[in-house]
Amino acid sequence: MRLQGVVRYHRARDTEEALSLLAGYEGRGALLAGGVDVARSPRRDVEGLIDIAGAGLSHVKLTERGGLLLGATVTLTELVESRVAAQYCGGVLVETLSLFSAAPLRNMATLGGAVVSAHPWADVPTLLVALGAELRWTDGMERKGSLEGVYAGAFRELFRNAVLTEVRLPPCDGGFAFYKLRRSAADVAMLNAACGLGVAQGRIAWARIALGATPTRGRRLPWLEELVQGEVPGAELWEEVAAQVRAKLDTGDDRRATGEWRRKAAGPLVARALAQAVERAR
Amino acid sequence: MKIQLELNGDPHYVDIEPGESLLSLVRRLGAWSVRSGCDVGDCGSCTVLLNGRPVRSCITFAAKAQGGSVTTVEALGTPQALHPLQEAFLEAGAVQCGYCTPGMVLVAYDLLTRVDDPSADHVLRAIAGNLCRCTGYRKIVEAVRLAARRKAEGRWR
Amino acid sequence: MAVGTSKRSVVGHNVTKVDGPSLVCGRPKFTMDIDLSGSLVGVILPSPHAHARIKSIDTSAAESLSGVVCVLHHGNVSRIAHTTAGQGWPEPSPYDTFLFDNKVRYVGDKVAAVAANSEQVAREALRRISVEYEVLPSLLSVDAALAAGSPAIHDETDAEGIYDAAGNVAAAVDIPVGDVAAALAQAEVTVEATCEIPYSQHVPIEPHCTVAYFDEDGRLVVRTSTQVPFHVRRIVARVLELPLHRVRVVKPRIGGGFGVKQEVLLEPVAGALALRTGKAVRMVFTREEEFVSSRTRHPMKVRVALGAGKDGVLRALEMEATSNTGAYGAHALTVLSNVGSKTLPLYNKPHDLRFHGRAVYTNLPVAGAYRGYGATQGYFPLEVAMDQLAERLQIDPVELRLRNHIREGETSPIFERIGEGREGVAQIVRSCKLEECLRLGAERFGWREKRSAPRQRGPLTYGVGMACAMQGSGITGIDMGAATIMLNEDGSFRLLIGATDLGTGSDTVLAQIAAEMLGVPVEKISVYSSDTDFTPFDVGAYASSTTYVSGTAVLRAAQEVRSQVLDVAAAMLRQSRDTLEIHDGRVHGSAGKSVSLEEVGHRAAYVVDQHHIAATASCVPEESPPPFAAFFAEVCVDRETGLVRLERMLGVADCGVALHPRLAEGQVEGAMAQGVGHALFEEMVFSERGRCVNTNLLDYRIPSSTDLRSLEAILVDSYEPSGPLGAKSIAEIGINGPLPAISNAIYHAVGVRLARAPFTPGRVLRALEGKG
Repeated sequence: MRLQGVVRYHRARDTEEALSLLAGYEGRGALLAGGVDVARSPRRDVEGLIDIAGAGLSHVKLTERGGLLLGATVTLTELVESRVAAQYCGGVLVETLSLFSAAPLRNMATLGGAVVSAHPWADVPTLLVALGAELRWTDGMERKGSLEGVYAGAFRELFRNAVLTEVRLPPCDGGFAFYKLRRSAADVAMLNAACGLGVAQGRIAWARIALGATPTRGRRLPWLEELVQGEVPGAELWEEVAAQVRAKLDTGDDRRATGEWRRKAAGPLVARALAQAVERAR
Repeated sequence: MKIQLELNGDPHYVDIEPGESLLSLVRRLGAWSVRSGCDVGDCGSCTVLLNGRPVRSCITFAAKAQGGSVTTVEALGTPQALHPLQEAFLEAGAVQCGYCTPGMVLVAYDLLTRVDDPSADHVLRAIAGNLCRCTGYRKIVEAVRLAARRKAEGRWR
Repeated sequence: MAVGTSKRSVVGHNVTKVDGPSLVCGRPKFTMDIDLSGSLVGVILPSPHAHARIKSIDTSAAESLSGVVCVLHHGNVSRIAHTTAGQGWPEPSPYDTFLFDNKVRYVGDKVAAVAANSEQVAREALRRISVEYEVLPSLLSVDAALAAGSPAIHDETDAEGIYDAAGNVAAAVDIPVGDVAAALAQAEVTVEATCEIPYSQHVPIEPHCTVAYFDEDGRLVVRTSTQVPFHVRRIVARVLELPLHRVRVVKPRIGGGFGVKQEVLLEPVAGALALRTGKAVRMVFTREEEFVSSRTRHPMKVRVALGAGKDGVLRALEMEATSNTGAYGAHALTVLSNVGSKTLPLYNKPHDLRFHGRAVYTNLPVAGAYRGYGATQGYFPLEVAMDQLAERLQIDPVELRLRNHIREGETSPIFERIGEGREGVAQIVRSCKLEECLRLGAERFGWREKRSAPRQRGPLTYGVGMACAMQGSGITGIDMGAATIMLNEDGSFRLLIGATDLGTGSDTVLAQIAAEMLGVPVEKISVYSSDTDFTPFDVGAYASSTTYVSGTAVLRAAQEVRSQVLDVAAAMLRQSRDTLEIHDGRVHGSAGKSVSLEEVGHRAAYVVDQHHIAATASCVPEESPPPFAAFFAEVCVDRETGLVRLERMLGVADCGVALHPRLAEGQVEGAMAQGVGHALFEEMVFSERGRCVNTNLLDYRIPSSTDLRSLEAILVDSYEPSGPLGAKSIAEIGINGPLPAISNAIYHAVGVRLARAPFTPGRVLRALEGKG
C-alpha cells in the first residue's frame, strides 16, 4: 500500500482542526483513525490524510442509566479489553467484536471506522443497528441521529464533510445475542444476525432483529420483530421465524455466498440468535 | 515529512512520504524480516509490533509510528543467539519456507506477553490472522506452547 | 526389517533445519531482499479481455512519461514459441506461448511490459498504453471450448505440440489395459462417481518475484523465486535468444511454491527488460496477479467406474478425466497422465483397466503444476467410488481398501503404460506399509466407534470418512539430480546441490545424508543451493523427487568423497583402508588409532600428495517408489445452514525411512491443510466475462489456524530398498486425502454425496434439500 497522490499527512488535535483541514481539501481529503479502510481501498484522488486518532475521541463510559458512550476512535481491541464495555448488555458488544478478524486488525481498526465504512459484510453495523445506537457527529454544528436513520440516508456523503465523534448505545434491559456464519474462522461474515428481546410473563415483550451480509449491510427486519412480539418463545416460534425469513427475506449473491443459500440459512441463524437472546433476557 | 520513531530500540528521525506504509518504512530502515505477502492486510506476513501491539504494517501509515516504537523479529534474537521463542519454533518444526515466520513469531510473542499458559485453542485464535501455507499450523501451535513452558521455567528475555 | 536406522547418528533425527536459525530471525534471504540501488521496476499490462486480437498498440504516451525506460510488446520482441512449464527435456508441454503475442487468450494475459524508475511511474505508464482490441468470442468453459464451431484459441500457425489446436484440445490420453467395458458388464457390482475440482490457486505467501541484472562480465543474472533454476536458465536463454552460458540463475530462499514456481513466468519478462535497458529490473506479482496471471490447479471433472465381485475385490477400473488447462497448455499432458498413473496402481487387483482423458483449452487462467499434480483430481472420485462400493457391499471402508490395495512385491500394468506424457517404466513395489497405515490410523482415530453411528447434537451431525492415496518419488528415467561434495581443510564439507529447497527442508535432509555417510554432524556440512553457475545440474523441486533423486546423488557423492578420505587416512595411519571407519569426525583404524577429518583435510590441501578431495555424482532414477497414506476425517455438518466444520484430520503415511521425521510430518500436515482448503473453501470465481473476482485473501479463503484445530500426521516404520538410506518421497501425497475423506465423512454424517468441491454451505444445503 502506498497512497501515491497523498501530499500531506495531518494530525488533527481536535475535531475543529480536522474539519477545517477537511474543508481545505475540497473533497480530496480523507479522515482516518486506524487507517485500515483508507489504506485498503486507496482512493487515487486523496491528497490529504487527516489523522483524528489524537483528537480526544477514544472514551468508553457507562452512563448512570446503563447506556454506553463510545468515542469514535476507540479501537476494537480497546473495546474488547474494556471492563466497562464488558458490563454492557451481557457483554454482547465485546463478544461480537472479539469474533472480528484477528488481533492485529482489531488493534488498528476503530469503532468509528467500522460505522463509517459500513462494509456490507461488517458485524458492527448489524449489532449497533439492533442495539439502537445513536451517533454524534460534527460538521461545524454538533449533530445527532439514530444509526438506522443515518444509514437510511446518504451517509457516505455526510461523512465526507463531517467527523463522527461518538456512538451512544442505549441502556439495555433485555437479552441480546450476535451470531455469524462464515466459511472459515478468520473470515468475514457470509451472514450475520443480532437479536435482542425482552420477556414479560413468558411472552416476548419487544424484539429487535437485524440481519447483515445478506449481502447488504445489516438492517432491522421490523416485520419479523412484529411477528414475534407477544409470542411465547420456543421451538415452535423459532420454526415459524425460520420459515417466514425464508419466505420473505430479500437476498443476493456476492463473492462469498449465493442469495439462495442466504435465504435458507438466515432463518435458522435468526432463530438461534433469538433463542440465545431469550436465555440472556431471563 | 519527517517522523521520529524507535525501531528495535534504535532512535530514527527519517523522511517519509505522507502516504507511505509502515512496511515500506521499516524495510527501508533495514528490518528485512517484515515482508509483503498481499499488501492489503489479509495475510499477516508484514506484522510488526507498534507500541507493543501487533499490527499489519502494509496497511498502517508510516506516519502512525511518529513518537512510537516499532518492534520486529530483528529485536528478538540472532541466528547465533536465538530467543527462546525462536528456538521453540525451530525445535517444533514450525518453520518451513520461513516467509510468514517473523510475523507469526511476533503474534506469538504478543500472546505470551499477555498470557502465561495459553491453551492450544488460545494459540490457534491468536495466530488466526496470520496465514501460513506450509505447515498446517500444528507445529506452530506446538512451538508456542513449548515456548510458554520455557517461559514458565524462567527461560525468557 | 533390517534397517539399521538405530545405529544412525544423523539420519532419522530431528536435527536443526540448516536454514532455520536465519529464517526464524527474518534474515534477508528471499529474492526481494536484495538491495540493488538504481534498479528499475517492471510491471505487466494485463489483458482486460478473455479472447481478443490486438489490432494496434500505441505506447508513445507511456514512453514519453518521465521515468519510463522501456516498453515491450509483441511488436518489438522476437516471436519464439515456448512453454512456461519448467520440465525435463524434451519438454512435454506444447510450445503455445510467446513472450508477447498479437492475441490475448484470457483476462490477465500479458499485453505489454514497462520498466520505469518507480512502481508508481510504471503503473501510470500502463494506464497510458492504448490498445485496440478486436474482441473474439470467449470460451469460458470446457463445454464451450469443445462445442462444434467454436473458434480455435490457438489458431497461430507457429505453435508446436498441440494435440488438436482446431478442436481446442491441448492433449489427449487413452490407455486401455484388457477390456474394461466387458469387465464392467460382467462385474457383480458396479459403482460410478464423477467429481469436479474448480479453479484454485497455490497461494504461496511470497508471490512470484524476480530480479534480473547484468554482472560485471555482461552475463544476465536472474535471481528468482523458482523451484526449477536450471529449467529457468534453459527457457530464458531460448526466449531471449541468448546462449545458455550467458545466463545465470540464482535461487535464494523461496517463500513457498507448491508447484506454481515450477513455471517460468516473470523471468523472461524481467530478463527482456534488463536486456533492453541494460539495467537491473525487479518484478513482483501483486496478490491479484498471483491469482490471475500465474498458474492454478487444473480444474477437472473425473469419472470413475468400478466393477467388483461380492467379495469387494475390484475386477474393473475405468477413469476418464476432462481437464481444463486454461489459455495455455502448461503441464496439460503430464498432469492429465498423472490423474491415472498415480491413482490406478493403488488398487492393482483388476486386470481390465482404462484411463482416458483430454486437456482442453479455454479462455480462462492458465493451469499448471500444483502439488498432487493430477493425482489429487483422480483420488477424489476414486475414493468416493470406493466409499460407495463399501456401502453397497456393506463392507467397512477400511476393510475394502485392505482387500484391494497393492502390496510389496506386486506391480501394476499402469506403471509401464502411463508415464510423464509418454510410456512409463515397469516397476515392482518394494516397500508398502499401507496396511499398517490403515490399521494404525483406524485405531488412533477411533474409526470403528465413530463409524458405527453418526453422532447428533441439535442441528449438528458428526460423521467420519476415510481415503487412501499414493504418489511417486520423482520421474523415472527423466529426472536428474546431481550433487558435489568437497572437503575443507578443517574437516568440514561443502555440499553443493542444484536441488531446490522451497521451504520443504530438503537442504537439511540432503545435508543429513551427507553427514551420515561422512561421519560428521550436520553442522559440519555447509549447504549451498542453487545457482546454475556453481551448483551441479538438478531438474529442481517437483514430482516429489528431491529426497529420492537428489538424495541418491548426495549419497553417491558422499560415498565417493568418503572413499577419497579413506585413501588419505590409510596412508596416514599406515593401515589398510578396508578396515577404516568414519564416525564422530574421525577416521578410526585398528589398535585404537585414528586421525581427524581436519588432519586428513589439512594433509590433502597442504602437506603430501596435495589434491582436492571432492566428488560429483548424479542420479537418474530407474524406478519411482510410491509413498502410501491413509486419511481419516471427522466433520460436523450443520443441517440447517449447510456449514461443514472439520473436527479432525489424520494422515498416516509410509515414506520409507523418514530422514527427518519432523520435517516429513510437516510435509504431510501442510499438504493436508491445502487439501482441506480444496475441500471446504477454495475456488476462484469468475465473472461472465471471464474475470476472476476473488483475487485477494479476504474473498479467496485459505485455511487459517482455527480451521485446522486437529490436523495430525503420523509416519509408520518402513524401508525403501532403492532409496537413499531407505527413504522415498512425502511432499505431495498428503494433499490427495482430504477431498475424498471429507466428502465421505459428510456422506456418513448426513447421507449426501458432495462431488463438486469446495463443499460450501450452499452446496451442502442444496444437496440436503435434494435428498428431501
